[in-house]
Amino acid sequence: MLKIKNLKATINEKLILKGLDLDIKPGEVHAIMGPNGSGKSTLANVLSGKNGYEIEGEISFNGMDLNDLKIEERAQKGIFLAFQYPLEIPGVNTNNFLRTSLNSVRKARGEKELDTLTFLKLIKEKAKELNIDEKFLSRQLNVGFSGGEKKKNEILQMKLLEPKLSILDETDSGLDIDALRIVADGVNSYKNKENAFLIITHYQRLLDYIKPDFIHVLSAGKIIKTGNADLGEQLEKTGYANLS
Amino acid sequence: MKQNYDFDIEKIKNLSQEEKVYRKKNLDLFYEYGFPSKQIEDWKFTDLNLILNKNFDSISNEINFESSKEFKAIENFEHNFIFLTNGKIISTNFAHEEKSKILIKDFNQEEVMNIDPSNALALLNSALSSGGFSLEITKDYKLKKPLIVYNYFSQDLKNKILNNKNSIKLNEGSELTLIDYSDNNIQSNFIKNTVDTVSLDKNAILKNILIQNSKNNGHFYKYIKSSLEGGSSYENYILSSGLKLNKIEIEINLNKDNSSCSIYSALNLLEDQHQEIKTRINHNSPNCKSYQKIKNVLNDKSKGVYQGKIFVEKIAQKTDAYQLSKALIVSDNAEFDAKPELEIYADDVKCSHGSTSGSIDSDAVHYLMTRGISKKEAVKLLINGFLNEVLEKITNNELKIFLERTLERQINGH
Repeated sequence: MLKIKNLKATINEKLILKGLDLDIKPGEVHAIMGPNGSGKSTLANVLSGKNGYEIEGEISFNGMDLNDLKIEERAQKGIFLAFQYPLEIPGVNTNNFLRTSLNSVRKARGEKELDTLTFLKLIKEKAKELNIDEKFLSRQLNVGFSGGEKKKNEILQMKLLEPKLSILDETDSGLDIDALRIVADGVNSYKNKENAFLIITHYQRLLDYIKPDFIHVLSAGKIIKTGNADLGEQLEKTGYANLS
Repeated sequence: MKQNYDFDIEKIKNLSQEEKVYRKKNLDLFYEYGFPSKQIEDWKFTDLNLILNKNFDSISNEINFESSKEFKAIENFEHNFIFLTNGKIISTNFAHEEKSKILIKDFNQEEVMNIDPSNALALLNSALSSGGFSLEITKDYKLKKPLIVYNYFSQDLKNKILNNKNSIKLNEGSELTLIDYSDNNIQSNFIKNTVDTVSLDKNAILKNILIQNSKNNGHFYKYIKSSLEGGSSYENYILSSGLKLNKIEIEINLNKDNSSCSIYSALNLLEDQHQEIKTRINHNSPNCKSYQKIKNVLNDKSKGVYQGKIFVEKIAQKTDAYQLSKALIVSDNAEFDAKPELEIYADDVKCSHGSTSGSIDSDAVHYLMTRGISKKEAVKLLINGFLNEVLEKITNNELKIFLERTLERQINGH
């Protein structure tokens, strides 16, 4: 599904990713772990198409060259990034935003756009699954939401847009144990043979709830070790410093 | 450019000799000033003389009022209406109301309030006015549905100036929501110069909403002079995007205790559109409140101006006055000018003002785009979010939805 070969990314003349390789197939859950400053968030940003990066190397997504796709096209083709810090956007009503988003994606996929009533029914259902109070949906996007509410809102968007590849950037940060469980349940219930996940995290904690097939350790812009779920537990005990 | 004015009082029908003399005097005074240029402080950001010179070869007041233009009433929104063509009443409909409570007739020249004698456009209006409507609501009558004043224009207005006067009077305890609705897509340049007088008696409530429903080449100036008695309330909403040039000047006199007023505006200016809102709030009595929130989005080569003055008389203790202007500048070629002015002679008042301008938050655009929304749509969502806020205080849900849709159309460029 996603193939990355020798990816280098530079921002403000600083080389952050220094030749990264990754191969994600449908049905797989990959986790990327690594210390601060190793390039984890840069990888998420580059995949989402954020401006400001100079990119070298190949990224292909279902046979398409990702560099040819605009930010919104990536979303329409099925890449979803759950932000580490979801933005607060004053004035923009959450429901209105969600409907615009879903209909943009549906339109690009050649599906019929949803009218207001059908949409409201759908969103209420999805919100309920994530234990999100309906009141949040009529508020301004993320404004005044707690950390946990913002993250749940990201997972709600994921479930609404039904992406093929979901990238979760530090989704566990700022979550208490109950919110963590709800988010993890949300991911696990969406997981199937057709879609894949890339989970970026500092800690093993989230991986106790969402079991990865592979764990990659990112350090100084390169993947220095790949293993199965056991690698996470090992890292938890020994830390990143002992890897080389 | 005087030689290109073709202003003729004889072209106005049914004038008494006395009235002709009065009008001639005003016209002569106007000629002394001419159309205001930026040398006049009140017009420093809108050089009307220059703009008219650029866009008009000549200007004449010869107006044909025999228009058969039909109009389409707004659907799915229950309302009363006054239908005007070129400012004159064609028909009225108050089907939702007790008809004896509403007095509507052609404008009566005798009702004119004193207008600042240095306002050249008001002088011109006094000289050339072809009238308009006079509306009075009787004591304690609260209209059940909003009143829409449909402003339509004939197609033959190229190089013409329309001068209208209207008067709105709410007697004690009465309530009205009035929507001043301009709908025309005339491509030729014309000028509309309007003077409205608004008078609110004790505890009367007026919501005055200005809507421009289509893009056109009109050059509009509107002067609203209002006076408020004790406990009355006057709310203004300005949604007038779409005109080539528009200047709205609002003077509000809070003459008795506990009267209050507010001005909210949400403008999305495109192309080379130029709009100015100029306000003067006179706190002439204690315990009055005024609130202004002016929001502008400047696209392309547009220009927005806000000049807001709060004047507090010595006796107007416990005044609560607030003024905020926020501009979102989307294009490098757009311009926004704000001039807040406070003149306070009382010593126990709360007056605050602020003015900010900024650009579109690129991180917010990015976030929205990662959700499949195109850049253009993302920017529109943010503009809508920015402007929509001014409608927050409207509690009537039907009206709110109507105004939200109006605003959305304006954000989409009509």
